[in-house]
Amino acid sequence: MNASLTVGAARSGVALSDRLRTTFMPRLLTGFVILLAWEIVVRAFAPAYVAKPTTVIMAIPRVIADPAFLRATGTTLAAVAEGLAIALIFGTIIGLLMGRSPMFERGIRHYVNGFYAVPMIVVLPLFSLWFGYSGATRIATIIFAAIFSIIINVADGARSVPREYMEVARSFRSGRLSTLVGIVLPSSMPYLLAGIRLAAGRALIGAVVAEFFISVGGLGYYILYNSRSYHHNEAFVGVLLLAAFGVGFELLVTWATQRFMPWYRRDEKAS
Amino acid sequence: MENIRRHAPFWTSILAGIALWEIAGRSTSKAFMVPLSETLVRLWQLVSGGQFITQLIDSTILFLSGFVLALVVGMPLGLLLARVRVLRIGIEPYIMILYATPMVALIPFILSLMGFGFAPKVLVVFLFAVFPVLYNTVEGARSIKPELIEVAKSYRSSEWALWREVMLPYTLPYTMTGVRQAIGRALVGMVAAEFFLSSTGLGQLIMGASQNFDTAGVFASILVIGLIGVGLMRLGLKIEQHFARWRN
Repeated sequence: MNASLTVGAARSGVALSDRLRTTFMPRLLTGFVILLAWEIVVRAFAPAYVAKPTTVIMAIPRVIADPAFLRATGTTLAAVAEGLAIALIFGTIIGLLMGRSPMFERGIRHYVNGFYAVPMIVVLPLFSLWFGYSGATRIATIIFAAIFSIIINVADGARSVPREYMEVARSFRSGRLSTLVGIVLPSSMPYLLAGIRLAAGRALIGAVVAEFFISVGGLGYYILYNSRSYHHNEAFVGVLLLAAFGVGFELLVTWATQRFMPWYRRDEKAS
Repeated sequence: MENIRRHAPFWTSILAGIALWEIAGRSTSKAFMVPLSETLVRLWQLVSGGQFITQLIDSTILFLSGFVLALVVGMPLGLLLARVRVLRIGIEPYIMILYATPMVALIPFILSLMGFGFAPKVLVVFLFAVFPVLYNTVEGARSIKPELIEVAKSYRSSEWALWREVMLPYTLPYTMTGVRQAIGRALVGMVAAEFFLSSTGLGQLIMGASQNFDTAGVFASILVIGLIGVGLMRLGLKIEQHFARWRN
């Protein structure tokens, strides 16, 4: 609400400078204070290898030019994308079925909610036993981390399809499958996006945790390896990149929801 | 009778799950999967061995320390941000960034700076749990219409009355959504701390079992942590729903 008001007001030049003064300045100032405090505390109390803003910034060009870093980032991102895609496909199918078939819903609801509540990290020892110390364990962890929030959200969406839509579909003798794909799926799109937003965050955590646990190459392992060898600045650039991915995805989904589904007000379903 | 009919689908699906687990466990290699019956036998051995109980207590203390610390810091800070608008606008984006950052990535730094004690593990649980509380409280603060505060002020409302009538009723429901999220995250943080920092508690139980190729032990500990997760999630939902009645 706040945002739409300010966006509307920002069209006139006066409001823009007003917004600059009331929003951007406090934010810039706060950011500066945080960085300054961090710099001072580390300089005063911590050993030289500990990351602080100035040295992290100086490490950025070096790290970005490092092929090992680029490879690690590529590997992790590819794994997250692959795992998310698999979770998305199967999660959507299971979610749609759950939302539209009460029998199926009753049968597996407790398992979906149950697995969603299991802290994803505890399955790592089991997955490493099953899939070995390889990329397969990472993919499996990502899928496990991501799929249940997609199922839960899609099922919510499929349940909340307006009754009139379904009645129209029935009176036109639409088949089960075409109703599901043509009406239920598009109608639960906002829920699906909310699910993806959650799932992406969890998938990223899953990938990093898996890399820590099984020491398979990737961004998480890059952070682990460099911080162990006292290259904290380099490792912290990795953390910054992870944060950028997390925030970037959040913003992307929020933007997509507002752009393509402006009628939908985001609420906190199963988050 | 009514009760039985209402709960029949639940028990059918639970029984089917148990049967599926048992059959799958019996028809695959012991190294990969263990039937439920064996898992329960192993769990009983662990419990009667006594070491399980101390590990459970260790984990509980870790969880509660980090979680309570997150509440003690997160709730007052969130409410302060809700009241002082300039502060909120300034800090908001940074809270959002930290909320979206995978906190696990900080564990290697915490390890190398703070070592293997109890404090670094509490810090991990705290970092996992505090940002959902802050983020949601700030979200709640944003939902308060500025006019409400202006009206209260123009009627010369005292600070205390403003808090009681406007600030708390509007932000607490959001805070409680954050508390529910924080419970789930704190549990992940607890296990992550026990895996990657000094190995104690339920995390140590799983790690030990997996290193000894004790698949039944792995399943038993996952079952226990899973049930704890489900229970805590239920509790979180109860708390959230209790306060959701205030939301309008």
